[in-house]
Amino acid sequence: MALGTLPNEAAILPMAIFGITAVALFLYDTIEPDSTNSEMLAGISVLGSLSALGVTGWYLVAGTGQPETEGAIRIFDDALVVDGMSLFFTALIASVVTLVVLASYDYVKDQEKQAEYYSLLLLAATGMATMSAANSLVTGFIALELSSLPSYALVAYLKDNKGSVEAGLKYFLIGALSSAVLAYGISLVYAATGSLQFEAVAAVLADGEAIEAPGVLGLGVMMVIGGFAYKTASVPFHFWAPEAYEGAPAPIAGFLSSASKAAGFVLAFRVFTVAFGGPAGEAAILETVDWVVAFQILAVATMTVGNFAALKQEKVKRMLAYSSVGHAGYVLIALAALTEGADHQLVLGSGMAHLLVYGFMNTGAFMFIALTEHWGVGREFEDFNGLSQEAPFAAAAMSIFLFSLAGLPLGGGFFSKFYLLMASINGGVALLAVALVVNSAVSLYYYTRVVKAMWVEEPNGDLEIESYPTGLYAAIAIAAVATVLLLPGFGIVIDTAQMAAGMLV
Amino acid sequence: MVNPWIAIGALAVVAVVIPVSMMVVSSLLRPSVPETSKRATYESGEVPTGSSRAIRFNIQYYMVALLFVVFDIETVLIFPWTVVYDDAIDKVGLFRALGPMVLFIGILVVGLAWAWRNGAVEWVRSPRADRQRTEQQT
Repeated sequence: MALGTLPNEAAILPMAIFGITAVALFLYDTIEPDSTNSEMLAGISVLGSLSALGVTGWYLVAGTGQPETEGAIRIFDDALVVDGMSLFFTALIASVVTLVVLASYDYVKDQEKQAEYYSLLLLAATGMATMSAANSLVTGFIALELSSLPSYALVAYLKDNKGSVEAGLKYFLIGALSSAVLAYGISLVYAATGSLQFEAVAAVLADGEAIEAPGVLGLGVMMVIGGFAYKTASVPFHFWAPEAYEGAPAPIAGFLSSASKAAGFVLAFRVFTVAFGGPAGEAAILETVDWVVAFQILAVATMTVGNFAALKQEKVKRMLAYSSVGHAGYVLIALAALTEGADHQLVLGSGMAHLLVYGFMNTGAFMFIALTEHWGVGREFEDFNGLSQEAPFAAAAMSIFLFSLAGLPLGGGFFSKFYLLMASINGGVALLAVALVVNSAVSLYYYTRVVKAMWVEEPNGDLEIESYPTGLYAAIAIAAVATVLLLPGFGIVIDTAQMAAGMLV
Repeated sequence: MVNPWIAIGALAVVAVVIPVSMMVVSSLLRPSVPETSKRATYESGEVPTGSSRAIRFNIQYYMVALLFVVFDIETVLIFPWTVVYDDAIDKVGLFRALGPMVLFIGILVVGLAWAWRNGAVEWVRSPRADRQRTEQQT
């Protein structure tokens, strides 16, 4: 294959493209400060994210870093690894970024400082793509910070809007606390194992006798879990999510709840399967600290808290924020069902596939919220009454997203939840399976409330929609088509995900 | 064998005991003469005006500090690089020794140029000071 002639360093091309696009936007803004040429700025961003998506897709098809060629590509002294998992998640992040940029075009068209908005978005994407390839605790931490710091600024982007600034501040404060917890956890793991690189940590842990300070190691692992819980918006660090999503510009809320969550999960998957798990090390470390049980508790708590809190919300965006917490709980099954004797490839692969499907349906739902904010429709359920009469296409797309989120067979969400259910049964954890089914049933209620408001209720007042923004409509259409196509095309996704997962476990 | 950490623990104990004991002893020995003016804020002999909580810092100091960080990080990373530069050229060649640093400085230069063009190094004008100046001129 012609690919064999590329140097190994070329494997980081998708991440590099995100970074180069961000710098290109800065350069454009340097030459023409305070430019309001939205077409140009959004064009550069879409070009960058589509090229990253294209290169990742090409690598996936060509088999870069996968078993059929030469296996995972390791670069920079094993600090980064490009394999099926990192390419899978880079493709997911690049797709979400493309959708978010398309939707942002209409959303920020009238704002100042647009170049900064797009370049911060792409810098965060660079960090997330790097998180998917990080193979050492320190690379992982730096990549996590690179994705977090631009996100704080993006949440507070509407700086004349009190809600946006308040959301940014809350997000930043909790983020700073969780970063400190994660950094402290990493330092304790380093103290106990003398290593930061994942395989090296696993090699130390493989020999149970070598764990000199089990207490320090255990505390370190628990704090690392805390750090990831923040990034993925899981219990106990979930409470920033509703505040940040509600105040943030809606495209950014979609970006944070899909791409940022996926990036947090890919790092957690890698840390816990490669460094703290692995075929050899598993038994030894589980005697010291049984993180599988910890994840079981977190998964059930996160699902239940997210879904039951979503029941009580009056604002649609806040409801979606809590539903995103609930989905983090579903994906946590991928780590919680990694019991001894389970098919680890199936369990991990189903979590990855759910994140991909979720990336499209959830981003799509937030794009619809962006659309309603663009029209100046209110934020509560009643304000959505009769929207289908004014905008039937958007309302239909939103209904697809919501039913797919609930797990009805209208979109890929049905199969991905089904595989998560299989995973929890395969792992022999009945509680997870029960919690998944009960919570999905609960979620159907609050998703249906929005659909009912849009299609059944009569419009209240004189709702007049003057404009149908192209960028937002394009983003919604692409997300809807992808969500529906993922129903018949789910086989390809789950095969790719399971093959990628098979390289780790 | 004595654990070397005992010495560090002892140092911590001494570090706490000495200042606390000094404060306790002086509070036992000194005469107590309460007086209201002792509680007033001392401002170089001036009578203080306004609250200390309403102080507003010029935002410019923040910008200067941010730009300083750019150059500070640059120095921290360039310094060890210059030390090993000659050996690195022998070992990995000019391109791999020089390339990453050129890329790194290039990114920082883009950042600096962007900040410059967007007015980060211009001194902030205070509307009130401008007004006072025009009032004096007229």
